[in-house]
Amino acid sequence: MNNKIGAKKRIEPYMYLVPCLLIFGVFLFYPFFKTIYLSLYKTNKLGEAKLFVGLGNYTDLLQSSSFWNSMMVTAIFVLIVVVGSMLLGLIAALLCNKAFPGIRFFSTAYALPMAIASSSAAMVFQIMLDPSVGIVNKILHLDINWINDPKYALICVAVLTAWLNSGINFLYFSAGLGNIDESIYERASVDGANSVQKFFSLTLPGLSPILFYTLVVNIIQAFQSFGQVKILTEGGPGESTNLIVYSIYRDAFFNYRFGSAAAQSVILFAIIMVLTLVMFKIEKRGVKY
Amino acid sequence: MKNKVIAALLSVAMVATTMVGCGSSTGAAETTEDAAEEDAAATEAAEETLSADASGQTITFWHSMGGVNGEAIDTLVNKFNEENELGITVQAEYQGEYDDSINKLKSAQLGNMGADLVQIYDIGTRFMIDSGWVVPMQDLIDADGYDITQIEPNIAAYYTVDNELYSMPFNSSTPILYYNKTMFDAAGITEVPTSLPGIAEVADDLVSKGGAGEAISLGIYGWFFEQFTCKQGASYVDQGNGREAAATAVEFDTNGSALNTLTEWKALYDAGYAPNVGRGGDSGLTDFSSGKSAMTLGSTASLKQILQDVNGSFEVGTAYFPSVTAEDKGGVSIGGASLWALENGDDAKKAATWEFIKFLVSPESQAYWNAQTGYFPVTTAAYDEQVFKDNVAQYPQFQTAIDQLHDSAPEYAGALLSVFPEARSIVETEIENMLNGKQSAEEAVDKMASDINNSIEEYNLLNE
Repeated sequence: MNNKIGAKKRIEPYMYLVPCLLIFGVFLFYPFFKTIYLSLYKTNKLGEAKLFVGLGNYTDLLQSSSFWNSMMVTAIFVLIVVVGSMLLGLIAALLCNKAFPGIRFFSTAYALPMAIASSSAAMVFQIMLDPSVGIVNKILHLDINWINDPKYALICVAVLTAWLNSGINFLYFSAGLGNIDESIYERASVDGANSVQKFFSLTLPGLSPILFYTLVVNIIQAFQSFGQVKILTEGGPGESTNLIVYSIYRDAFFNYRFGSAAAQSVILFAIIMVLTLVMFKIEKRGVKY
Repeated sequence: MKNKVIAALLSVAMVATTMVGCGSSTGAAETTEDAAEEDAAATEAAEETLSADASGQTITFWHSMGGVNGEAIDTLVNKFNEENELGITVQAEYQGEYDDSINKLKSAQLGNMGADLVQIYDIGTRFMIDSGWVVPMQDLIDADGYDITQIEPNIAAYYTVDNELYSMPFNSSTPILYYNKTMFDAAGITEVPTSLPGIAEVADDLVSKGGAGEAISLGIYGWFFEQFTCKQGASYVDQGNGREAAATAVEFDTNGSALNTLTEWKALYDAGYAPNVGRGGDSGLTDFSSGKSAMTLGSTASLKQILQDVNGSFEVGTAYFPSVTAEDKGGVSIGGASLWALENGDDAKKAATWEFIKFLVSPESQAYWNAQTGYFPVTTAAYDEQVFKDNVAQYPQFQTAIDQLHDSAPEYAGALLSVFPEARSIVETEIENMLNGKQSAEEAVDKMASDINNSIEEYNLLNE
């Protein structure tokens, strides 16, 4: 009798996990292993695994200049986006941390980018950046072909993405700033600290948990950017904005080479995983809870 | 801490896998041999195909027409649903752009839950023929005794392989040269250029006397490159331009046509006559409509849009698509999309689908379609409809498009290639790289040829 209850007790907790595991299984683990499986094959026009090539897709990628270009472009892109969006969010949050008339308007304005779909923002930017009728050239009195010049295209897409991502960062940072105890600032003032010292010694450490979280999220988000590239540049000019995610999309849904696309996804996964692990390692040292 | 790492890993995994995981539409359904058998069976069955009773059937029609064109489709579908005497109901479903709808079809066919009639773009033609999913339009035509001569021959030629019409042309267009007549008059130019060097000759006058910012806004578009090949009367790929059998390699490199095209293109760019205005068929239109460029290349289907954007600020003229050199004797090929009947094993639906196709290509429908969208009427009899006559009277520029189509010949119908979408994008990338000074015209042609040949080779290997 006792045994029976014991067995039931042992099984019961796992039963609660079943629904969650089922969803994970269908939407996460199955696609994940399928992707690894596909990355070992070449696929036919329907995306069916047809020819086993082992690590052939990976070696092809590592020898392809286009792939290395994608990696390079992605790295630069992620750097600009993460730095840009976090700085933008942080500055906006600091500005809105004081009470002043119209604060609601400014808060809304700074948080708004997170409500804008990347594709529609890209379409608006496309018109704004148009060399002949766009407002950017008109205001700056420049004649730059922003989107079609390889020198500027990546920066344009990155700045757009940074702005889009800054909205949610603003929100996180505002919440983070609200959590810092006001009284420590007062004490610091009594001790004669100026505002720069207060920022670096009080605000930043106080924000560090949320800074860390936003950094991780922002990096993953930046790696994933797709809509902007698809609409604004389609990876061009040349391959100067061919981010890895866009390259995966092209290979999978345009060229119907799921094998190569799957291999690129696996590599992307590995990169993000390593980055995340490294960040969690650093977290132990830098973040004070 | 450990939990946090696991949580992070999970979220990363989720992020990374959903991106490609969802698209890996595997699960074997039809091998190619099966498909071939089915195809043969379909041909045999064609005679009886239309004997089935179409009345009361509901069929699904997938299309890729958004905006104004989508409204025109809906009007036609509603009209058919109300007027047909057999009680056939057509459900029209917008499936996104051409690329999206062919991709959805690929996934849907694996589960055999697709549509009865689907609109597929020109460059999907070889894929559709090879897929074995379709009822060749010729079978339906033969079974019904439909008079094929009603269909514009230069349009039908594109979709005809081995003397068999595989799909019904529906929305067809050709590229033409749009020019700013007001600028041409101001510059005192009476002859509209007919070739790329001809454009260079008048370019300086257009800028200095005509007030143009640039002579021509030439979008980097793979379709234009293909048209330049057709204009030279050259083949894009081998095997009779992919029409006798599946192509095995490109031919534009060995026959020199690509180099001619790129050399002239580069010359226009280097002289500042044709700056880089970006990629895609519409990329040159903004400069033209805003009065910056004196000329642009565009689809005939863009005419309405251009006239609307220009809004009378200058006079828009149209001329034939320019050739690469003055001596070229070739013609233009059509673009756009056609209607493919899918083999769903249901004869009644097939018969209903055929009724609907006949309605769509009827002179009346085509005249309406042409007036609403600017695509060609695919049925010659549509030229006699009052709607069509009114439309041409209102937009005389459209006559150029019709003349150009009639001046072309079926042998310039253009290439068929399974990996065309990819090939087109490779061509665009390499032209971009050339214009941006990364490579010479020769290098660009070599790179295009080797990249496209690689993907043809791989495709043929995997899809025998």
